[in-house]
Amino acid sequence: MSLRDFFALYALVGLACAIAVFRRTRGPGAVVSAMVTVPLWPLWAPFALAPPRARGEQALAGAVAAVADTPMSAIFTERTASRIAAEVARVASRLASLNALAEQGSFDRAASAIRIAELARSGASDRAVATARLQHDSRVRLAELRAADARALDELADLLEALRTQLLLARYEGSPSGDASAIVSEVWARLEGLGAVVDPGAAGGPGAAGGGGAR
Amino acid sequence: MFLNRILRSPAEVAEQCRSDRDVASIARTALVTLAVAAMAFGAAVGSWRGGKQIAFAALKMPIAILGTLAIAAPAFYVLAAIFGRPWALRPVLALVLSAGARFALVLLALTPPLWLTVDFGAPYALVKVAATIGYGLAGLAGLEVLIRALGKGPGRSLTVGLFIAVFLLIGGQNAWVLRPYLGTPGDPEVTLFTRKREGGLVVQLLKAVGGERSAPAPAAPAPAEAP
Repeated sequence: MSLRDFFALYALVGLACAIAVFRRTRGPGAVVSAMVTVPLWPLWAPFALAPPRARGEQALAGAVAAVADTPMSAIFTERTASRIAAEVARVASRLASLNALAEQGSFDRAASAIRIAELARSGASDRAVATARLQHDSRVRLAELRAADARALDELADLLEALRTQLLLARYEGSPSGDASAIVSEVWARLEGLGAVVDPGAAGGPGAAGGGGAR
Repeated sequence: MFLNRILRSPAEVAEQCRSDRDVASIARTALVTLAVAAMAFGAAVGSWRGGKQIAFAALKMPIAILGTLAIAAPAFYVLAAIFGRPWALRPVLALVLSAGARFALVLLALTPPLWLTVDFGAPYALVKVAATIGYGLAGLAGLEVLIRALGKGPGRSLTVGLFIAVFLLIGGQNAWVLRPYLGTPGDPEVTLFTRKREGGLVVQLLKAVGGERSAPAPAAPAPAEAP
């Protein structure tokens, strides 16, 4: 392959990526982002084509930016932020798995309820009806878990947005670092609570894994 | 803010990249910084010849640097994964771009001294050495980000060593293809690319190792064209 062939192939892939970026990106930056993608697709396309950031992630980035270059950066450190991000990612990943299951029809409670009724009508054995009931109950629990995870993620996002606002306030009011420390401790306490909702087996997760170090 | 942090706390930025947090913003800032700093450094290098060479070098320097990063960054992703750090692609690209931004900032800081060196009438060889030293120092500054991101543990030295080798090979070949930056000594004509067919970088290295004589000692630019 000559240098010319290599450049032609590189430009071709760049054009394909640029089209994908243009179709995906919204707003006035779409054209610029697509144009940058043509020559720099190996560096820029993975960022331009990434799904939009979740509300919690945006709030966390805002919180990190709020404490930058202030005495609070020693309390709300990059490490603390990374651990919170990991917790957000854990909840989001679990919710994504449950959503994928839902798309496959695994939560179709109506179908399993109809099946129980059909079995009862047709005079099926008690064992067959019991199996159908077990299936129905499992689906109901899966749906409840999914709803609980979605609520937990929303609560986490609310909490992080509140944290960002409080840190911004502390930054501009020039609060002493003790106040900021209390805010971060409150975040960890709330995360522990959310950990218990999302994953009872890891109830001490966020606190045990990172809370102590952050306080 | 990112530029301040990458200079003062590269470890923090490395941590942020690894946790894949706000990396699109890092990538955007790094790309712009790289382009602007490389243009300035290129213009300073091209000022030895002056005239059109300033614009040519300012145009080619960002292409050489960003092109090298574009080809070498996936290599870092693979090397890190092979030697025990199987990170996702986006955090790795953000790390490489952060290292690039640090490199670019140091390069930008060294641009005025280089330009002064040229302005004081330094000969071709001295400007070439000064530019190479500047490039090397900037490279070391950028490398610190990657080393900190890799952390302690087995495979770090091997990952860094192999990435440096890959980066130098790609960077050297890119720079060679896009030459000249200073301007061809003794050649009155200023061209965007050299028209001589001399083979690639590896051919030149083999020739050098084989003891072949390179071109005669370069002459200084004509006074009218000098900066």
